[in-house]
Amino acid sequence: MIYAGIDIGSSTAKAALIKKNRLLGTHVIPTGYNPLNAGITVFEAVLEKVGVSKIDITAIVSTGYGRASVNFADTAMTEIICHGTGAHFMNPDIRGIIDVGGQDSKAILLDKNGQVENFAMNDKCAAGTGRFIEVMANALEVELDQMGDFSLKADKPSKISSICTVFAESEVISMIAGLQKRENIIAGIHESAAARVAILAFKINIKEPVMMTGGVAKNKGMITALEKRLGFELIVGDFAQENGAIGAAVLASRL
Amino acid sequence: MKEIKIFHDATKDVSAFADKIKAKQKKIVGTLCSYAPEELIYAAGFHPMRLFSSKSDIILAEQHLQTYCCSLVRGVLEDSLSGRLDFLDGTVFPHTCDSIQRLSDIWRMKGRYEFFADVVLPVKLNTQSAKIYMVDVLTKFKKDLEIAAGREITDTDLRESIKKFNLIRKNLSKIYALQSQKPGIIKGADLYTIVKGSMVMDRDEVADLLPAIAANIEKMDTPEQNGKRIVVSGSICDSPDIYTAIEAAGGVIVGDDLCTGQRWFEGQILEDEEPLTAIATRYMDRIICPAKHSSATARGENMISLAKKNKADGVVFMLLKFCDPHAFDYPYLKEFLEKENIKTLLIEMDDQQQNLGQLSTRFETFIHYI
Repeated sequence: MIYAGIDIGSSTAKAALIKKNRLLGTHVIPTGYNPLNAGITVFEAVLEKVGVSKIDITAIVSTGYGRASVNFADTAMTEIICHGTGAHFMNPDIRGIIDVGGQDSKAILLDKNGQVENFAMNDKCAAGTGRFIEVMANALEVELDQMGDFSLKADKPSKISSICTVFAESEVISMIAGLQKRENIIAGIHESAAARVAILAFKINIKEPVMMTGGVAKNKGMITALEKRLGFELIVGDFAQENGAIGAAVLASRL
Repeated sequence: MKEIKIFHDATKDVSAFADKIKAKQKKIVGTLCSYAPEELIYAAGFHPMRLFSSKSDIILAEQHLQTYCCSLVRGVLEDSLSGRLDFLDGTVFPHTCDSIQRLSDIWRMKGRYEFFADVVLPVKLNTQSAKIYMVDVLTKFKKDLEIAAGREITDTDLRESIKKFNLIRKNLSKIYALQSQKPGIIKGADLYTIVKGSMVMDRDEVADLLPAIAANIEKMDTPEQNGKRIVVSGSICDSPDIYTAIEAAGGVIVGDDLCTGQRWFEGQILEDEEPLTAIATRYMDRIICPAKHSSATARGENMISLAKKNKADGVVFMLLKFCDPHAFDYPYLKEFLEKENIKTLLIEMDDQQQNLGQLSTRFETFIHYI
């Protein structure tokens, strides 16, 4: 029996299929304007990738901010629960998760059984989220997936003092005008975002080992900045971005 | 229930409701917190009306109050400056948090309404001298009201007022107790509306309607539901959508520690004592808000007893952003509850805007694991 998880995030939609505790495949697409369409498209794409058809799927759980839009799912669960389940599925030792996505960042504490024990989430503000890094990448004319590599070449990270994304952007523009090195500005951006995320982790007294999930886990510069701020290493799996969808698929298998 | 609908209609358009009060030749005195001694305002023949923000965009208030003040204070000032509170004949500011005191200064200098009073209540409420002082403050407030009303407030007036407010309090307590016994018997949004309506509507009407609501729900059977039992704590929660979101996430509200809830209406005023002293005693003895002090552990102990009495599965702290008294108390209250293995969730919100999507994610997750 095959189970599906669909995670409609603010930036990307992810789908995962599992069978007997084995991950069959995942797929990621941009969410775009319509969360239901994104759900349908990503689901069909993962089915095709794995080579199964809709009738082979026993149950579907949706998650992410667009979870309620996925009307073909059996039930919807929050991304916090799904990330917890997904991380435990990938690595049962994990006790803490730092999930940084497009519009939210979260720190999650798990018990030994992978159940969520506590969590902290950023407020409405975009500080410490993927969106923050995206806005800065635009201002610096750097491709989003290049941000990590750039920042690893920094010799003296710039100091960004504004928490607000809009103010921080104008601070970054002043830095560009002041001819500061792009690598240093980018490292400063990651340190600033990491500081916001670390606050969430400290709030819940996060326990090691900690897994980093969400799209921002693909950014090596952000991982480095976070590890420096937290004082311990983060575990980043191959499916960090799809972790919520994987968790949703696991939860579908328990329905 | 038709009685509840009356509350919904009144709270939907407070200014239209105010016009109805004015049509009865009654003067309206706005109040800003649950420490405002409404019994005296009512006894003077005025209509006490708790002020809430209309949640309009903050434009004019921005010149006076910066963003580090809470959205309630900024919102109410915005309403005043833009003329949305022109139905007011006066306002009463009890001495509570810093922001309300500064609002009082701005308000007084703007001088838009005829009557103005600062009721400078004691901060420490557990001393003998505070009680003497409290009676003095109320005596002075009574005099101010008498001058404004152009008549004496007699002991008979006070006793009648006390009876009226006791009746309101008793029935609200009863409705809350019934909800805790038979969770879900009344929707969170209705509960919110009844309490809010009781703060703004004609108190004679409220005193007539509440016993009917209590009697009606008493007859109802416990609805079939298995929601997690939630106690809400914080300052004001002026959004029925939040109550609905908690219910949609699988919770049921069984009690609160809110300024727009049990903190405002719990307790009775002794009816056979000297009225002013009896009123003073009630305001001294009620559950304190974090801008007041009664003992180092009073609020924590109250939170635990509230959670236990209502068999709460979890406590949701709903704080207005930039409300520093509540923010200061939160870590200690959380610690108190955690020692008793009661799970908590903190939500910080703005009166003007709520991100319900994110709120639902928090509520659903919390309710899932408690």
